[in-house]
Amino acid sequence: MQCNRRQNAVRELTPFQSPLSREGVKGGRERGLGGEGPATRAAQLLTTILVMGLLTGCGDGRTPLTIYSPHGRDLLQLVEETFEAANPTIDVRCLDMGSQEVYERVRSEAANPQCDVWFGGPATILGRGARDGLLEAFRPSWADALPAASQHPGNLYFGLYRTPPLLVYNEAVVSEEDAPRDWDDLLDERWRDQVLIRDPVASGTMRTIFGMVLAKSVAETGSTDRGFEWLGRLDAQTKEYVHNPALLHQKMVRQEGLVTMWELTDILFQRLRGAPLGYRFPASGSPVINDSIALVKGSDQADAARAFIEWVGSREALLLAAENAFRLPARGDLPAEELPEWARQALAELVTAEVDWDLIETEGAEWMNTWDRTVRGQGSKP
Amino acid sequence: MKPTLQSRRLAYGIALGLVWLVTYPLLLTLLEALGGAGAWTLEHFAEFARRGDEWRALWRSLWISTASVVLAGLVGVPLAFVFERTEFPGRRVLGALVALPVALPPLVGVIAFLFLYGESGFVSRLVQTVLGLDQPPWRLHGPGAILLVHTYSMYVYFYLFARAALARLDGSMLEAAAVLGAGRWRTLWKVTLPQLRPALLGAALLTFMTSLGSFSAPYIFAGGYRVMTTQIVASRVNGQYALAQVEAIVLALMALGALWMIRRMQSDETVTSAHGVAPSRQRIVSPLARWGFAVIGWSLAGFMLLPHATLLLISLVPHSTWTVELWPPVLNFSNYHELLSEPERLRPMLNSLWMAVVATGGAVVLGLLAARQSLRHGGRMGAALEGLVALPWAIPGTVFAIALGTAFSVHAPYIGRFVWIGTPIILPLAYLVRCLPITGRAALAGLRQLDPALEEAAHSLGAGPMRAFRRVTLPLVRPAVVAGLGLAFITALGDFVTSIVLYTYETRPISIEIQSALRVQEFGVAAVYGVLLMILSAAAFLVWGRGEAGR
Repeated sequence: MQCNRRQNAVRELTPFQSPLSREGVKGGRERGLGGEGPATRAAQLLTTILVMGLLTGCGDGRTPLTIYSPHGRDLLQLVEETFEAANPTIDVRCLDMGSQEVYERVRSEAANPQCDVWFGGPATILGRGARDGLLEAFRPSWADALPAASQHPGNLYFGLYRTPPLLVYNEAVVSEEDAPRDWDDLLDERWRDQVLIRDPVASGTMRTIFGMVLAKSVAETGSTDRGFEWLGRLDAQTKEYVHNPALLHQKMVRQEGLVTMWELTDILFQRLRGAPLGYRFPASGSPVINDSIALVKGSDQADAARAFIEWVGSREALLLAAENAFRLPARGDLPAEELPEWARQALAELVTAEVDWDLIETEGAEWMNTWDRTVRGQGSKP
Repeated sequence: MKPTLQSRRLAYGIALGLVWLVTYPLLLTLLEALGGAGAWTLEHFAEFARRGDEWRALWRSLWISTASVVLAGLVGVPLAFVFERTEFPGRRVLGALVALPVALPPLVGVIAFLFLYGESGFVSRLVQTVLGLDQPPWRLHGPGAILLVHTYSMYVYFYLFARAALARLDGSMLEAAAVLGAGRWRTLWKVTLPQLRPALLGAALLTFMTSLGSFSAPYIFAGGYRVMTTQIVASRVNGQYALAQVEAIVLALMALGALWMIRRMQSDETVTSAHGVAPSRQRIVSPLARWGFAVIGWSLAGFMLLPHATLLLISLVPHSTWTVELWPPVLNFSNYHELLSEPERLRPMLNSLWMAVVATGGAVVLGLLAARQSLRHGGRMGAALEGLVALPWAIPGTVFAIALGTAFSVHAPYIGRFVWIGTPIILPLAYLVRCLPITGRAALAGLRQLDPALEEAAHSLGAGPMRAFRRVTLPLVRPAVVAGLGLAFITALGDFVTSIVLYTYETRPISIEIQSALRVQEFGVAAVYGVLLMILSAAAFLVWGRGEAGR
């Protein structure tokens, strides 16, 4: 994938290391005052490692296409390999990070953009990027097959996958029968101190779920009061706000808590790897996240970036992602029978909640602020 | 010795370089906090002052950091005495092993703690099983958990600095005290501890600043219990960037306050010794006591290495196979195989290695130069240099990285700004600056213990400044500098908070790869990276341990 010299460098390094560790230290101990040996050797080592380091940064003549993405290794590796095989002149370089980090990096690099494609993240976050003027308009041909709600009116970003948040339980302890069927069931006395929640301040998925609760409250009562009251009751049920998805997963599997809310893709991967986690689409509806893609303004590889966006939303690439990485395509024109079994089942069970996304995008930050200050940890106090 | 014109120029040059690398990016950050959307305003500072939760976070940061200093000192200093002043079987190896908490890699290190002492952790389950409890005996949560992690990871500063200082102690002074009729405790109190003062104050400052800037422990263990660092992150993810800047500035001011206090406590005088040889170690004669020491020493080392062992264990557990069992049911090398079968995934190791070497080398040279000039000039210039060297440690890594990234994202060479973001320069540069407080502190502590008369003697015997420095000063401050070097290397090698902001495709370090593995819940693979990192750090450290402890 990369130039061969890199791999050689790993091998070549070892012989240079030993002189310092063996003689360098011994020499230093014995020489007392003066003596040049170890210093020279250390300088040699330093130079060697430095040269190696610089060499490893070499390109191999292909066009480097830099992609920032929260999608995780599984999908990124698949996409990288497939796309490179079809486009031998392009070297795809994926940097894997959280969706919030993608935004912050693209924002902080605006003066000297390093990223060509912003691949993934809820439309609400890409929306902030659009407002900050970080994105370049580009309408891929597959955009016509998207529902209007999944695209930016100014062609700045487009929905690629649909990621439904849902209810998750430890199926080694909780039977499918007893598992919560809707969001409200989490407030049941049965789950008191059994609910684990990924810290919502730092999580796009949790922000979306909380946003749905509050937006619904605004739509039905005109204010957020009822929504915050609901979140307060949820807080009372919550054993712990877990600070990253990996720990949430561990704590769920190790039965520190029995139920949580998370999203479909991740859970399907965990199940594939043998984790005893069951899931259920909430009956009243799931605020399906519109996972989007965009061209970054100022990209110096805009042509390659456009080719990538065009390809990754193609029928072939979407089916590949559905088949191997549990991604539900956002395009509405793919016939159900071509999708894998899990996707057909998900589409059959999924109830999509009506959500005022604009309201969440504009008010979301303030809502979370209020939640953080007035709701978090209040319910569980004795 | 009167500073020559040349040395004054050098001092100014170093100060200017440090201002450019350390203060300048932070000042640009400050301007942003004041300027905001164009208009100059103190509004964000006013908002900070108005809010109760900000003051609470500030107070918590302060008391937790102070408590961390006390606890780390209580663990680290006695350990240093035991390993430097007594002789018992296995002293050398153990002496190096108890420094290894510092080699516990980021992210996965904290997770190893959770697997060990957390609610469903190994120790908790063991206690639960043995005592037949229905509930786990404790929860690793809140300020107690933060202090546990802080003490564990920071006593090493006290331990290493105190050991280096003890190794440089003048045995003849202790003998003189004994001859004059001072008892053991009186000698300790009146002779030894004052000699250790620079080292202890240096360690206290490092510990205080490290815990002020500590992020992972409060983030993972404290939940809603916010300290300043987690408050900054919360503000950032909420999109309140200006408020986050203000919080960062307040945190930096607190750290500067601590630096100022420590400086007042250690007057500019150097603690001179360095004529005679270090006191001989007390050989423990009674076989019973010898074995007692050995047993206690080994159990202590075993306890300190538990998280490392846990990490090793996790690296051998295939995905999702260890859930509620006390001991993992399946152990094999599948995670290692997965990693080693893809050479591309090993590249971050090489990246981290070369960047750490370059950064540490640079930080040692710069730290030594700055420390020497600071002591030589004293007064305002000395204080300024010392402050500049210590400052980067006071700023949370993320904040400093963002400041550096902002400063070096504009092409304006005439005001010292270049477009370095996104290039392989910026990350090693950030490491260098982050390591500077460690190497600088260590060099200062070493130089403070040094009698300036020695260098003068070399001068009067006809040695030039370079020659005197190389042949007299350097060999004498070596233990202190090498202690700093080891710490700095490990810090750079395992850095996460700076890297996450500044890394590029070419400079992806190991910690980023660990994070990437954790993002897809590959705990085993993350642990394998952690183990590899641990081996590298431990190798660097044991090499040092052999070199120094054997002296």
